[in-house]
Amino acid sequence: MIPASFDYTAPTTIDEALAALADAGDEAKIIAGGQSLLPVLRMRLNAPSTVIDLGRIDGLRGIREEGDALVIGAMTTHDDVMHDALVHEHALLLIKATSTVADPQVRHRGTLGGSLAHADPAGDLGAVALALDASFVIMGRDGSRTVAADDFFVGLFETAVGEGEILTEIRIPKHTGWGAHYEKFVRVVHQWSIVAVAATVHHEGGTIHEARIGLTNMGATPLRARATEDALHGVFATDEDVRAAVANIAEGTDPPSDLNGDAEYRRDLAVVLARRAVLHACGV
Amino acid sequence: MELQHSFTVPSSPTDTWEAFTDVASVAGCFPGAEVTQTDGTEFEGTCKVKLGPIALVYSGTGRFVEQDPEQGRFVIEAKGKDKRGNGTAGATVTATLTPVSSGTAVAVVTDLQITGKPAQFGRGVIQDVSDKLLQQFVSCLEQRLTPPETAPHEPEPEAPPPVVGAPPPLAEADDDALDLGGALLPVLVKNYGKQALAVLVALLVVLRAVRRRR
Repeated sequence: MIPASFDYTAPTTIDEALAALADAGDEAKIIAGGQSLLPVLRMRLNAPSTVIDLGRIDGLRGIREEGDALVIGAMTTHDDVMHDALVHEHALLLIKATSTVADPQVRHRGTLGGSLAHADPAGDLGAVALALDASFVIMGRDGSRTVAADDFFVGLFETAVGEGEILTEIRIPKHTGWGAHYEKFVRVVHQWSIVAVAATVHHEGGTIHEARIGLTNMGATPLRARATEDALHGVFATDEDVRAAVANIAEGTDPPSDLNGDAEYRRDLAVVLARRAVLHACGV
Repeated sequence: MELQHSFTVPSSPTDTWEAFTDVASVAGCFPGAEVTQTDGTEFEGTCKVKLGPIALVYSGTGRFVEQDPEQGRFVIEAKGKDKRGNGTAGATVTATLTPVSSGTAVAVVTDLQITGKPAQFGRGVIQDVSDKLLQQFVSCLEQRLTPPETAPHEPEPEAPPPVVGAPPPLAEADDDALDLGGALLPVLVKNYGKQALAVLVALLVVLRAVRRRR
């Protein structure tokens, strides 16, 4: 289908983008990589009066170090994230998950910020942002604010980014030397996750010192499995011990039921995927 | 297909009937909804539905087929159509109010007809979506129907967010507080966005009808 007609503007600075957003009000949509918005427009599930394209704002792209953190511009594409040496060294989990997002075409257009701001609970990168304790820099006309990952995902497709605001940067504390794995269950490779588990682990001599775990599509938002993280503390990276430590990972989750599987099926899946993710992250 | 819902509100059947027919009281429970025209037992309205990336404007018409305050029963026929696309949904809704010790029990039976592709998806999905929608509407309505002087209780403390991965507490074998609808919608939106919204519209139209009977 062809989208309903809309005005299009492509500002070259964040200030211009914020001004355009203020002018257009709640009839505006921001387009980043367009990999979620365009299908919505083409199916006429939305008909914004104005589409504001962030693609020409240079300051929103790129990856840099800032002290103990990596700073990734919101408009950095998945493909750029995947092939970045800094990310590889300091946030391996992000590489692992990003390389499973959809397909190469989507990864060349889609952006980290766009995906996170879209906040699809089956999207892969929210769980990673939670596991890595990322924080989000959000700009409005009154300046910028920083929101922790725990507070960023508010609900279904809902984030802390307010109307009239733009997500500009994702800051990720360095997890240098941490093992990582993203275990995703799908039946078709570019499908949305039925369930996925993001795990990054600091381990030494076969013992897990610290683990961080995020869950994809186990609730209306991505979830962080803190109790399981605690249970993994000091555990030997063996199949048996990890299996025991992750056994309760589905507790407190609220997974959906649909044609891909009911909630109970997803709970079982989460346990299996968590074990695999942690063991892979430990290099076992 | 037929859908059934029931809930109880803490006010008498007479008050509940009044409230149901009080436009101001019920209107606020559906943001984005607006009655554009009413004429006797018929009405027209529009409704803007926003969910994440999706924003749709539906227009609907409906009429009261039956209204019986003494029996506490009304029947509405409603139709909704997506203004920009081509999704449609029709519904016949029968609501019955029954006095119970704690207030009024409201039973709603919805006979839903969806045309085109949406008709292909299963009943369970529609049930879950409409449950979720009705839940939101009802909790809003419940608040409005609870007289402040008889209910001076403090707002219930919010439950702490569940700790993911913690072993289940022993005493909570029968936890019915889980909110499945919220987790279900994402997948629905991807797979059945339009259809789900069509259902929502059908419900909205119905509720619009309910509140306008004055």
